[in-house]
Amino acid sequence: MKTLFLTAFLAITIVSCNNKAKETETNATETQAGSIELFACPMHPEVTGKKGEKCSKCGMELTEPVAQSKPDKNTQEPSLNNSKAKVGVLGADTSVTPLDYVNDIVICYLNLKNKLVKDDSEGAAEKGKILLASFNRLDTKTLNANQKKAYIDIAEDAKEQAEHIAENAGKLDHQREHFILLSKDINDLIKMFGSKMQLYQDYCPMADDGKGAIWISETKEIKNPFYGSKMLTCGSLKKTL
Amino acid sequence: MKNSLKKVGILLFLVVVAIQFYQPALNQNPDQDYTNDFIITTNAPSNISKLIKTSCYDCHSNNTDYLWYDYLQPVRMFVEKHITDGKRELNFNEFGSYSNRKQQSKLEAIGKQIKSDEMPLTSYTLLHRDAIINEVQKQELITWINSIKQNSLSEK
Repeated sequence: MKTLFLTAFLAITIVSCNNKAKETETNATETQAGSIELFACPMHPEVTGKKGEKCSKCGMELTEPVAQSKPDKNTQEPSLNNSKAKVGVLGADTSVTPLDYVNDIVICYLNLKNKLVKDDSEGAAEKGKILLASFNRLDTKTLNANQKKAYIDIAEDAKEQAEHIAENAGKLDHQREHFILLSKDINDLIKMFGSKMQLYQDYCPMADDGKGAIWISETKEIKNPFYGSKMLTCGSLKKTL
Repeated sequence: MKNSLKKVGILLFLVVVAIQFYQPALNQNPDQDYTNDFIITTNAPSNISKLIKTSCYDCHSNNTDYLWYDYLQPVRMFVEKHITDGKRELNFNEFGSYSNRKQQSKLEAIGKQIKSDEMPLTSYTLLHRDAIINEVQKQELITWINSIKQNSLSEK
């Protein structure tokens, strides 16, 4: 009898395993669609609200979808002393610039980096997920053509690296491999958009099988995210950004 | 005792027969457009292109050469999952459509995966003996990948 149950159980698990891949796919599309909640007045784009609401200036129905032009307070993770940043403040007339979003992304990256410094693989995975979301919040429509092209190019790659870091909790080495590529992307992102904070570009000559790699840090003190406790202070300050 | 063993045997047989009816769509696209294909866009030499096609394309492209046992369940589900995951990660048929930055990252990743023997998967080479990349081929492949990596960098 026991074996009977066992075989049935086995068959069910095999079938359900197969469905997993499809599930994650639909989840991804759902979250993307979920970020479009705001609608703007067709005449006054600055007036936004929920679907079906009326414009406060002309009374027209809000019909133009806005891809979350203002960050949602609740989803905000960044906190790294960004007291001056407008991010996370849903003020009526403070407009959030692309730089605020980039700043957000950078802070998410720094949080992730600090987990890697501490050899915390689970923590890094979690921060990777948050970083991934921060890329999706920037609405590329607010960028000019040049910026847009560069941003999409960077984001497409960086999101993939973040995803890998998020999915590989427990495999610290693998996460760090992706962190090398991610750091390059973030470096280019800062080069393109600038930064609100004082940042440092550090260099580890040993990383990436001796090819060397850079990372971005918010502290002047060297804390190596590629090796963590093994070689915490290995590396050198290359540039002040 | 003998009787219950027989029952279990019959049930197992029935389950195996039943799951044969679950046949997801095959990863086969005879009309595949090859303009963005990795081998075309990178202008790969014939030895490299043959190597990549035999060792990688079954899971990393829109066309899989199925073997007879691939049609049998539960092998079928296992294989199909690998193909879905593989294509999501890297689809050689679409390589040319990736942004330059992504192409560079992918080349980097391909080199690493081959160097560390993570790819091709052992579960794949177990039955696809021709897909095994030997040490000499491995070196050839890595050298070639490194060469096209630099090429695209100097274009900038």
